[in-house]
Amino acid sequence: MVLEIIVMVKQVPDSQEVVIDPVTMNLNRSLTRNVTNSADENALEAALRIKDKVGANVTVISMGPPQAETTMIECLARGADRAILASDRFFGGADTYPTGLTIAATISKIGKFDIIFAGEESSDSSTGHVGPGVAEFLNIDQITYASSVDYEDGYVTADRELEGGTETVRVPTPVLVTVLLNSNSPRMQTLRRKIDAVKKGMEVWDHDKIGLQPEWVGVRGSPTIVRKMRPIKERERAAKKIDVAGLGDLARELYEKKILKLEEE
Amino acid sequence: MSEFDAIVIGAGPAGASAAIRLASSKKNVLLVEKSDPPGSKNVSGGVLWGSSLSSIIPDWEKSAPVERFVDTKSVAFLTQDSKIGIDFSSKKLQQKKTGYTVLRAKLDQWLARKAKEAGAMVINGVTVEKLHMENGKVTGVEQGGDVITSDAVILCEGANPRVAIDSGLHKRLSDRDVAIGVKEVISLPEATINERFHLKSGAGFACEYVLGYLQNGVEAGGFLYTNKDSISVGIVVSMSHLRQNDATHSFDIIESFTGHPYIAPLLEGGNMQEYSAHLVQEGGIGSMPKLYGNGYMIAGDSAGFSFSNGLVLQGMNYAIDSGIIAADTFIEASKGMDYSESALKLYQDRLESSYVMKDMRTFKGIENVTWSPFVHKKVPAMLESLMLNLFMEEGKPKKHMTGMLLDAMSENDMLKASSIMEAYRMMRRM
Repeated sequence: MVLEIIVMVKQVPDSQEVVIDPVTMNLNRSLTRNVTNSADENALEAALRIKDKVGANVTVISMGPPQAETTMIECLARGADRAILASDRFFGGADTYPTGLTIAATISKIGKFDIIFAGEESSDSSTGHVGPGVAEFLNIDQITYASSVDYEDGYVTADRELEGGTETVRVPTPVLVTVLLNSNSPRMQTLRRKIDAVKKGMEVWDHDKIGLQPEWVGVRGSPTIVRKMRPIKERERAAKKIDVAGLGDLARELYEKKILKLEEE
Repeated sequence: MSEFDAIVIGAGPAGASAAIRLASSKKNVLLVEKSDPPGSKNVSGGVLWGSSLSSIIPDWEKSAPVERFVDTKSVAFLTQDSKIGIDFSSKKLQQKKTGYTVLRAKLDQWLARKAKEAGAMVINGVTVEKLHMENGKVTGVEQGGDVITSDAVILCEGANPRVAIDSGLHKRLSDRDVAIGVKEVISLPEATINERFHLKSGAGFACEYVLGYLQNGVEAGGFLYTNKDSISVGIVVSMSHLRQNDATHSFDIIESFTGHPYIAPLLEGGNMQEYSAHLVQEGGIGSMPKLYGNGYMIAGDSAGFSFSNGLVLQGMNYAIDSGIIAADTFIEASKGMDYSESALKLYQDRLESSYVMKDMRTFKGIENVTWSPFVHKKVPAMLESLMLNLFMEEGKPKKHMTGMLLDAMSENDMLKASSIMEAYRMMRRM
């Protein structure tokens, strides 16, 4: 029987271009370019390597607004077989709890799964909650912060990068694995695969299709209450233009002010 | 049988327009763009002149993400200490809007969306490597070891046409064909811009400058356009001048421009949002490639369609119209299923009878005017001394205007027979 792999992905604003609305203090998503969360690209690559090795059916799933289509197409173009976007206005404003619930319910609806992959965390909220949350909702084992993942005969072997060193674990499927950012190099999309991905397209599932009540999900299903947000004040930097000829004087000045040290000291 | 009727390379104004026209005529078209999203690698001043879009998107003036219509168009010479310019503001420009300032990151995304809505398959984030040839005929594109086939390919790659060059359809660019444009987008509140440039809401200011203060024979032009709540400001410097003067850097030139005593106050208090640079087509008709062949056509900047007479810079209008003409040629050719060189010659013929090629021919050699020491050094210096003579009141007897003009001209070496001939030849080219 063919291995069933699910990869959880998220579309995030490009962290280089993030703009905070000064009035609402929310991310202004309309002004920024949306990209696939980088760690999720590593998660997909880990899944595709297992597919290359033993053969597998790789399904990417995401929860998000319709514009997440570009991320879903991108994942198909890298080699995923199926893309499902859980998208519904009831899902809006979710914190990590109903997000995990929604994704877990989507996975249950798909049916059989052997390995679920997720990125270690998203670059826009950096909680790292959703992957482990999904494992808990589905009541399966989880391996977090994996730097390398392999599969053989019903077992996933993974290296976990911990503060004290590396831990190698071997866990029987079904299991959820969260993958470290930059732990592999994701393969390129090609024009051929991208054309096929656009032709194939993604599936969009709403709360009804997934079998969730509106009050369980989105902002209504979220226990988090945001009391206050404030921007971090940017430090004023003394931007000073110096002439190359004046470099010696500047070095002396910095040395005297003890900002610059000589190596021997 | 080909997978697509036509493949269009590049989703700028030329490529998107071609794709919209083709898809609207029920052609199965693939539009491939290397940047993601479309427009994120494109740089233009930019003012979109004319109403070329109306033939493919009739309501574009209402729906396109344009910034402001040009209500005041200026040209000015800058010297170290002075600015001498002409401002043209007109109610007539309010009634009949002839130019709009645009930000390409927004415009190109919108055009690509229109192409998708019309039924084109739009793929971005993938770079086509080269054209696929079979028996001397272009039959598709190659990427990542795969061949995607089509009856014909329309190349709209912009100022740096890599695929056309690598496929031997375009000669390598030489220094005289291109300039470098460097641009900053500086954000300022809409109200501040309106106040600073004396604009009503929605109205915009566009100005081209001659940077007459540059040293060592370096020639550069400047531009400043108002967007809704930002200002696009930048310079265009010829590649050969940069190359000849190792000590000259394009970033120094833009800094000297934005720091000029009569430019800096216009930008004061703004935050730089974007900094970008791009090649600019400058070669004129002399550096145009062959525009069509077996199974292919070239449109937009790749084809060398841009225009600058120092008073106005244009390119997007030529891009849009050449893209549309290429699409129409394809549609015509598809009736006989003949995409050979002789069938696609129709593209050249249609361009010749449109303003696109007529302008290119009328202004043949204009680049020798816009890039000349006469315009960049002598004229600014002469104008400055003339104005100073006119307005400096030093208790001395005044001269007639003509006398002052002649004095100012002779001070700047402009009364020699050779200079007069040069000026006359230039005037004719403009």
